[in-house]
Amino acid sequence: MKEELNQKISQFLDNELHYDEALDLLQKMRSDTSLAQKMGRFEAISHAMKSDQFITLGADFSAKIAAQLEHEPIYLLPSKKPMNRGYQWLALAASLAVVSVVAVRSLPHIYGTAPASLQVAQQQPPKALPNSPVEAKKPNPEEQPLNARINDYLQAHNGSVYVNNPNLQSMTRVTTYNQK
Amino acid sequence: MIVVKWFFLILPVFLTVTVSAENALPTNTKARPAWQAVDGKQALAKMAHAMQTLNYQGTVAFLRDGKLEPMKYSHAANRGREQEHLLSLNSPLREVVRETGEVSCLYKATQQLVIDQRPFERSFLIDMPNDINQLDAAYGIEMVGEENVAMLPAYVIAIKPKDNLRYARKVWLGRQWFLPLKVVVYDLEGAVLEELVFTELDVKDALPFIDMKPLADGALPSQKSPSGSSAQAAFVMAAIPKGFKEVFFDRKPMHESEQPVDHLLLSDGLASVSVYMEHKNSAQPLVNNDTNGVQSVDAVNFFSHSLGDFQLTVMGEVPSETIRLIADNAKLRVR
Repeated sequence: MKEELNQKISQFLDNELHYDEALDLLQKMRSDTSLAQKMGRFEAISHAMKSDQFITLGADFSAKIAAQLEHEPIYLLPSKKPMNRGYQWLALAASLAVVSVVAVRSLPHIYGTAPASLQVAQQQPPKALPNSPVEAKKPNPEEQPLNARINDYLQAHNGSVYVNNPNLQSMTRVTTYNQK
Repeated sequence: MIVVKWFFLILPVFLTVTVSAENALPTNTKARPAWQAVDGKQALAKMAHAMQTLNYQGTVAFLRDGKLEPMKYSHAANRGREQEHLLSLNSPLREVVRETGEVSCLYKATQQLVIDQRPFERSFLIDMPNDINQLDAAYGIEMVGEENVAMLPAYVIAIKPKDNLRYARKVWLGRQWFLPLKVVVYDLEGAVLEELVFTELDVKDALPFIDMKPLADGALPSQKSPSGSSAQAAFVMAAIPKGFKEVFFDRKPMHESEQPVDHLLLSDGLASVSVYMEHKNSAQPLVNNDTNGVQSVDAVNFFSHSLGDFQLTVMGEVPSETIRLIADNAKLRVR
């Protein structure tokens, strides 16, 4: 019986013992400390034979480790869980929103407005209106003198003559109206 | 957890709406110039009020048809009394005063004083109607930017005609006092027709009123006559362009003779057109009676032709087409 146990311990250390027998052996070790110590010795011998190194451990080594583990503080840290499927959709929606923000900012013409170019355009002189039937000729080199009647009319029409037209006689030019 | 879930649900919607609003609405106050928050029409209304109530003076340059006329300008206001004063800096030296519808011009060299009744005008700078809404029929008003004029920050307001029967304008309005610092009139091609610009402008608590009197006996008699009704005119207007209306009528001698002349003034709030009619006078040669020509003096276009025994003349700071349109619609009154 003793020889049989020794053989099972040896097979267990060499990982050759069947699962059911290994479980039975471990249960016996829990109740028989001498058996556990024997397996410790066998393991040490096996390790020494394989590595040529051997460190002698005290008989109470495993008991001390077990005692220290019992006094070790316990931290209740959250375990990492796989992402909820709902959050995956939220993350996708947020990403789409960011993409839309960037796209809208970089493509303002989608909305028909381009503020920068609009301001520039607004500072340009007004665009020419469609061609009128009136075609103003270039100033005639032979300017006609205004008669006194037109001078009087001009003065009556607009007070700016006192500002702009102190000498009306020299400021006449002629344009021609082309009737359709 | 529910709060976090709702936050992530609302965040993308909020961001999308916010950015869309920024781009779709240029009038949004965020990250846009301050002038965009000012309404052009309201600014012009403030200008009209400021021009009437403030005391201000400066140097203004009038530019018309390539000619520059720099003048000292002042406007005095006190308890409802207003007076404009202009003093030319170049020859011919003259001093002009406008008060209560009367313009007095004193020519320094001859000490001749000309007194003219002009109840239909208010300012040498820019004439605005009492009710700014009157411009709506013919013009669109738009705030288009901000620039500096005479070292003063100014709003730029575009007054754009809705048809080709009148000219576009731009007004540079001082941001602090809402006084006009620069006014430009553009022709139909966008070229500058007239321009006035202040090189300096100061607002004062008070300014003196000028009492203009000739030093010698050179005063011409004032041609005072009450404004009459156009029903007296020898002509009727079959139609007038949209936005224009009759603002003044007078019948008085204008020339050296005593022959009366009918004068009807039409205005769309900014542009004005005068229609004159008088009996043909052999002593006065007809103007272009044998042609259909529209002539011009600076920015003023005019057209004259005979109508029965009368000579009709239409003139104004409007395109030639408008002049002819009005002239063609002036008919002899049937009595």
